[in-house]
Amino acid sequence: MNSPQEIWQNQSAERNTMTLKLIEWKARDLRAKTRKKLLGTLVCPLAVGLLYGFTPRRGMLAPFFICALIWSFAGLYFLNRGMRWATMSADAGLAGGLQFCLGELQRQRRFVQQSLLWSFGPLALAIGTFIYGLALTGRGFFPKALPFVALVVIWICLYFFSRWHEQRGLQYEIDELREFERGNGG
Amino acid sequence: MTSSRESSELASARRTITSEHNRSFSCSDVLENSVSGDYLNVGGTEPIPAGPASQAELYREAVDRFGPSLERLAGAYEADPEKRRDLSQDIHFQLWRSFAGYDGRCSLRTWSYRVAHHVAASHVIRERRVYSTLVGLEELEALSDKAEGPESADRRLNLDRLSALIRRLKPLDRQIIVCWLEDMDTASIAEVTGLSPANVGMRIHRIRKVLAKRFHEGGSL
Repeated sequence: MNSPQEIWQNQSAERNTMTLKLIEWKARDLRAKTRKKLLGTLVCPLAVGLLYGFTPRRGMLAPFFICALIWSFAGLYFLNRGMRWATMSADAGLAGGLQFCLGELQRQRRFVQQSLLWSFGPLALAIGTFIYGLALTGRGFFPKALPFVALVVIWICLYFFSRWHEQRGLQYEIDELREFERGNGG
Repeated sequence: MTSSRESSELASARRTITSEHNRSFSCSDVLENSVSGDYLNVGGTEPIPAGPASQAELYREAVDRFGPSLERLAGAYEADPEKRRDLSQDIHFQLWRSFAGYDGRCSLRTWSYRVAHHVAASHVIRERRVYSTLVGLEELEALSDKAEGPESADRRLNLDRLSALIRRLKPLDRQIIVCWLEDMDTASIAEVTGLSPANVGMRIHRIRKVLAKRFHEGGSL
């Protein structure tokens, strides 16, 4: 009878070899993805600027927006810092699977944490200021805009919760691997 | 004639792809970056340090020797054919790149498997599947397998079952089972995964138990 190894090794698989053309294409593809990620991080300062533009009585609230803008620009630096030091799986040929998985999970957790702090934080501040600015315009604002405000608050809470949950899941995985590493004698 | 053309093509390809990534990184550099995913420097204007001349030969040798295993490995990490092709190309791309920094400190096989598993593990982690539905060997042992009956003894079905079972595992356990299925010995698996041989041995024992439980009814083990 067939052993699992035999079944596994006798499966048909298409042969894939990297040609120079394919390498160039892959490199272009990766560059495009990186550019897209870099552009993605610009969304936060842009959104802050946009909210500032639409805020009534913005002169009074300008310090808050400036604060959010500075915060988000600092975020641009911190979020993109990792990209400047481009690293790939290929650079970790000397690391074992356990070490690599641990590092990759830590990287992911740090990324989630940093995007909460540097992207979500300034955006939440700008949205809060924007809503406050709207509230300052007149007494009738709150009953009318309550559904909008409620939706924004729900979105902020859900986003924060999902990111927090994701971070907790990653931390759980990291702890599990660390435990495993200790058992492994590492 | 051909070889000089080939080497000039390779040099130009190297110029095209690489910017900062041929720099030698220490493991901690590699593992401590805060950005998720693989990136290339978008500027690509810096002068490129030339990789070792043997990069292309090493890559070719690795593909000749382990090409089919690498395809099977991609299959163990991704079920969707389109994504699997992408993953496979990523593995080959990273492998090709990695040989610029290969210094012979480990065997070609260990190096190739490590890089391939790293790329695949990154893919799984990035796809956020690690902590949602994936299980460890321990949980897999405890899970029942009601959907699969003894009639599914045929090779194709067995392969599907085996692949499905592998794809339910967390990356580290997946590495062990894939290496074991590729007939690697305990010491080599330990080298690839970074686990102790004793730990690998214990996990292989568990894998065999799980597989025996799942496949014995089908009469295929």
